[in-house]
Amino acid sequence: MNITQLPFIKEIYGFLGHDLVAAVIGILIILVFVPLNSAFLVWVERKVAGHIQLRPGPMEVGPHGILQTLIDAVKLMSKEMITPKLADKFLFWLAPIVIIIPAIVCFVVIPFSPLMQVREMNVGILLIFSFSSLTVLSILMAGWASNNKYALIGAVRAVAQNVAYEIPLLLSTMSIIIMTNSFKMSEITAAQSPVWFIVYQPVAAIIFFISTTAETNRAPFDLVEAESELVSGFHTEYTGMRFALFFLAEYTNMFIAASMGAVLFFGGWHGPFFPGLIWFVVKVYALIFVIIWVRWTFPRLRFDQLMNFAWKVMIPVALLNLMITAIVLKAL
Amino acid sequence: MFPQMMQSGLYDFFFVLIFFIISIALSLVMVTFNALIGPHFMGEKKTDTYESGMAPIKTAWMQFGASYYLFALIFLAFDVDVLYLFPVLLIYQKGAGFSELTALLLFLFLISLALVYAWRKGVFIWR
Repeated sequence: MNITQLPFIKEIYGFLGHDLVAAVIGILIILVFVPLNSAFLVWVERKVAGHIQLRPGPMEVGPHGILQTLIDAVKLMSKEMITPKLADKFLFWLAPIVIIIPAIVCFVVIPFSPLMQVREMNVGILLIFSFSSLTVLSILMAGWASNNKYALIGAVRAVAQNVAYEIPLLLSTMSIIIMTNSFKMSEITAAQSPVWFIVYQPVAAIIFFISTTAETNRAPFDLVEAESELVSGFHTEYTGMRFALFFLAEYTNMFIAASMGAVLFFGGWHGPFFPGLIWFVVKVYALIFVIIWVRWTFPRLRFDQLMNFAWKVMIPVALLNLMITAIVLKAL
Repeated sequence: MFPQMMQSGLYDFFFVLIFFIISIALSLVMVTFNALIGPHFMGEKKTDTYESGMAPIKTAWMQFGASYYLFALIFLAFDVDVLYLFPVLLIYQKGAGFSELTALLLFLFLISLALVYAWRKGVFIWR
């Protein structure tokens, strides 16, 4: 019997039919894009690091070492996945699986171009915020389940840091939402067709940039995996593909954060002469380049500096910025 | 069931659900593939916890002084308060008068008081 003839399936298909095709295409593109993007970003990171430190970076595999990360991935895949005997086996297994969820799901609402968006949702940007909070849950799971002191300290730091920087992140986004009155990515983009929001909201843009750097655990806020004190933080005990999954998630989160920055402050896919997709990708990778540049330029903060900076500088400034935006909007 | 879902906007979450399932499948496939083709050698010390080359001293599951718990408490208060702002933002410019502005400023002022209180109490001094 043909399964599509069942009444229930037929009912679903009747409504999904058209959209299902969009979803499947979106899934296929993203399943190819996410690993390639991460591989590319790791290579870019190593190249930028190399050139900043006056050395060439990876040069051996492929032209200018561009295939290096793919080879690394193959190597990681042929390594043994070790579970420490003292670890909490189930949580240790679960953590790298959970960390991939936000990295894939957030792509549902990201508008690559006017047409290339899997689904326009009325919760848009809130969906990204809510799912990206799963990342810190997974980090805590990984750190605690490893039963390793370095991993545990890294995980506890991750929670404190993500919690502190989430508030300025939300507040700086709010000063944009209050101007557009919508969470939809397409409406936020459309509102910037003459002037990018970074012109109206430079303070919010700076706060947003610093907070996303901290939320994605990038230097100078990378106390979670501070190599000099914590070996490599929460993923110290992970090997093989699980280790690769953490890196996949980290670099994909960077892409998602940069694309949120592009949508909120740099006009998304708006731009002259070229199609929207090209503008969007150029803006996102430019932002990612700045994040990488920052990593190889600034030294790591001390933990109390990190926390005090969030609570004493970022949150008051973000609150003031929101108040001023509210007053200006009503006064005009 | 589905007509109502389409109208209520819940339908959008089908896409989230599909992506959710696919993401779990992706990581399961990658991990399983690794488990299949990777080597499996058992050594005596191999599954020990890493502790800079020493034999691990006790486990990591013990009590230790985290100076972060006060931060966590303020965060709870702050974040829940900030969540109330989201609905306000959507209708902020729709009203003509200044009542939204007054309400918003009052709310933000009250949240700021929580921050000032914690600051004066010395929560942000690292011990």
